Amino acid sequence: MGFLNGSASCVRFSVEGDLPENFWDFAAERIMAFSFKDIDETYDEFSVGWVSVQNMFDTDFKFASYASGDYITLSLRIDERKVAPAILKKFTQKEEERIKKEKQIPKIGRTMKIEIRERVQTELMKKAAPVPAVYDLCWNLSESTLLCFTTNKKAHALLEDLFKETFGLLIVQQIPYFMAEHLLDADDQQRLAVISPDIFV
Amino acid sequence: MDLVDLIAEKRFVGQEFLTWLWWKSEERGGSIALDGAGSMNSFSGDITVVFEKHVLLEYGEGESSEKCICSGLQSELKEARTGLVMGKKLEQARIQLGHNDYEWNFTLAAALMEFRNIKLPKTAASQEGGSGPEEQEGLILERIFLFEELIRMVQTLFRMFLEIRVSPGWKDELVKVRQWVHVRGQMTDDRV
Repeated sequence: MGFLNGSASCVRFSVEGDLPENFWDFAAERIMAFSFKDIDETYDEFSVGWVSVQNMFDTDFKFASYASGDYITLSLRIDERKVAPAILKKFTQKEEERIKKEKQIPKIGRTMKIEIRERVQTELMKKAAPVPAVYDLCWNLSESTLLCFTTNKKAHALLEDLFKETFGLLIVQQIPYFMAEHLLDADDQQRLAVISPDIFV
Repeated sequence: MDLVDLIAEKRFVGQEFLTWLWWKSEERGGSIALDGAGSMNSFSGDITVVFEKHVLLEYGEGESSEKCICSGLQSELKEARTGLVMGKKLEQARIQLGHNDYEWNFTLAAALMEFRNIKLPKTAASQEGGSGPEEQEGLILERIFLFEELIRMVQTLFRMFLEIRVSPGWKDELVKVRQWVHVRGQMTDDRV
């Protein structure tokens, strides 16, 4: 469920900084440069990039499909190979037992245990299929605001990084106090800065 | 100041707003007149604001903080009203917001101003659909408009709160809110 259908959750960000000249050419080039790269056929553990809001397999953005009027709509796709802790524990123990039998030793030393664990983790990671996650965003160019359609903090952090890399612009989450800075005049902002919580009973 | 510290120190701004909004929504039986004329991104006109189904209250800070969740389909949120009398403030509430023939449902998480589980109004275009690129772009633009319209209305309500909160008029406003908290709390006690 996200931006295009069903119910959605969103958080508002402000986009700080000026847009470059020939913005649409710049955007086309940068979005393609940071589009999502598939890791299904590789051993990479992690990949993050832009895809179309309408199709998570569309990284071509034909006819600038990210442009809707004065808005840019994109999805942040994150693919990550993960191994569940219980699976890692099981296969590590299995490998330890195998080595104990093979070498005829009653116990395995700490250093060797760490080595086994790391080797098992690498092997399992290669076998694990990347888990995809897709988060939509809508950038209002005229108002320099951005709606991110998730409340997931990890996704917010990744979005902030990728947005900065792609467009060279910072995004700042609009918590009530920051939102207030855009809504009040300078005098009222100063008054707001010094108020303390009130008791409502 | 570090962003994390700032969020912690100023989380009361959003929570006081949501608590104030509950009072404001009941002051005139669910109707609030918005006057956003002259302000960018603001909204003018009458809207309806109804608190329903789900409320989360918070009291205290950090490790000593307490939380209380009240929910129910037909509930009058009695426990939540009692919570207000105990000095708790609203952190989350499920709100129904109406303007003209449109109706939005959403949960507002106050401290960070997060809009959760937004249900947009049904429109002719959203029901008919369409698969062509032009229909798709139309649908996208309509959904953007409806999301932004909701945020514009909440922003205008927030600006109304902020303007009174930083003004000398806040003392009188606070007296009214406190009266409402006590009267509502007493009504709840009488029924028990």
